[in-house]
Amino acid sequence: MKRVAVTGIGLVTPLGHSTREVFESACAGRSAIQPIIGAATGRLRSPLAATVQFDTAEHFDVQQQRLLDRVAQFAVVAARRALADSDGALTSLDLSRVGVFLGTGMAGIASMDDGYRTLYADASDRIKPTLILQGMHNAAAAWIGIENQLTGPNLTYSTACSSSGVAIGEAWLRVATGAVDLAVAGGSEAPLALGSMKAWEAMHTLASSDVAAPSASCKPFSKNRSGMVLGEGAAIVLLEPMDAALARNATIYGELIGYGLTTDSSHIARPSAQGQASAMRAALQSAGITADQVDSINAHGTGTIANDVAETSAIRSVFGDRAGAIPISATKAIHGHLLGAAGAIECVLALLAMRHRIALPTMHLDQSDPECDLDYVAKVARSGAAGNIMLSNSFAFGGTNAVLVLRSS
Amino acid sequence: MTTTDRIIAMLVNDFKVEPDRLSPTARLEDLGIDSLGLAELLFNFEDEFHLKLPDVPLDLATFGDVVRYVDEQIAAQSTPPTVAPASAHDAQVVR
Repeated sequence: MKRVAVTGIGLVTPLGHSTREVFESACAGRSAIQPIIGAATGRLRSPLAATVQFDTAEHFDVQQQRLLDRVAQFAVVAARRALADSDGALTSLDLSRVGVFLGTGMAGIASMDDGYRTLYADASDRIKPTLILQGMHNAAAAWIGIENQLTGPNLTYSTACSSSGVAIGEAWLRVATGAVDLAVAGGSEAPLALGSMKAWEAMHTLASSDVAAPSASCKPFSKNRSGMVLGEGAAIVLLEPMDAALARNATIYGELIGYGLTTDSSHIARPSAQGQASAMRAALQSAGITADQVDSINAHGTGTIANDVAETSAIRSVFGDRAGAIPISATKAIHGHLLGAAGAIECVLALLAMRHRIALPTMHLDQSDPECDLDYVAKVARSGAAGNIMLSNSFAFGGTNAVLVLRSS
Repeated sequence: MTTTDRIIAMLVNDFKVEPDRLSPTARLEDLGIDSLGLAELLFNFEDEFHLKLPDVPLDLATFGDVVRYVDEQIAAQSTPPTVAPASAHDAQVVR
């Protein structure tokens, strides 16, 4: 197996568009969650989201704007930024040995929502001829490939909230085994259409608004947590063999050294502490390290009642007595739950945390839950605490648990 | 505005076609209008010209073909047929 370096990062997120901006917001705990205002938001119990400031016309011509759903637009722009950031990773590569590995949970849901509005609400049969191409799950990855003429594998992973953890892990495998020479990997999500927001609401997974401070409505690991807040955006990393990265003098953000993938196969929605723990153990085994070598964790940390207890219990079972001494960060409190892009933005935040040697804060954690009794780096970033090896956890409805093991460069 | 003028405006705005390239013999594929583009164009014609276009494969190769087709449809649909074709229902079911 080859060592695999992360040599480019591209972001389109509620926290900002550059690694610097995003990391500064994460350190300061500045939440991008806010009340949303729109024609139909009155129909939402808690009209909250973490939205991306994005001017479509700045990035795409009129024809592309009609063909690319917001989810594909985010993905393409994030990929452009990652490739630009890599300082020429594609130069002199055989493009048939470059792959795209993208996670998305809901794909072009806003376009589908719009089509269904035409069909059902307007009782019209005038469905746009572009709707399939906007809505299909593999469109975002395909557009990244088309724009850059990448003719290697082009794969889309849809395992709900672990989609991009899986995408990055599967990309790592391909690079590590020499199947591709470069992977464009990450996730994209744009789920803020009324139809999908109402569906999430119906499941009772969404946080109720914190009346005093709406931006603090998502409170991972807190006793008064009430759920997650949906977010949108994309995060892309470039993975290339370490020797190639060193040879071209690339900026190396860190190294991906392992990947654990397990499936609960028990309940479609309820998280399993056992399943989560088995994914962390599989990740450690894949990286060839012991639990003692893990310095900190970017938690899945959704702020739902069920996840945070299960994840705490899973971490306890893997790390034993040391569990309470490991800094654990849950950044969904400020960037929201990006669903199929969550694992990717959290992987990036973990890499940046180690690079800057700062454990990121879990915001809005005022009241501790007796069942969540670990060190969540409550509310204040901690200098010097991220360490050199981090886990990034992504768990999902459907039971797909993906854990990435990252090492600082 | 004539049909031609209106279609030119649509091609320029929605497909970024250079207006001086729009001669009657200009081939759609040379103008960057592929089969998906043509499907979009026909969809937009329905709004622009208040038409209901038949869902049948079309052999429209040039800009002139498109203008002629739209003019024919405008003419046909401005005087509704007095007798519906007997096979219309059957044809729909089969499709």
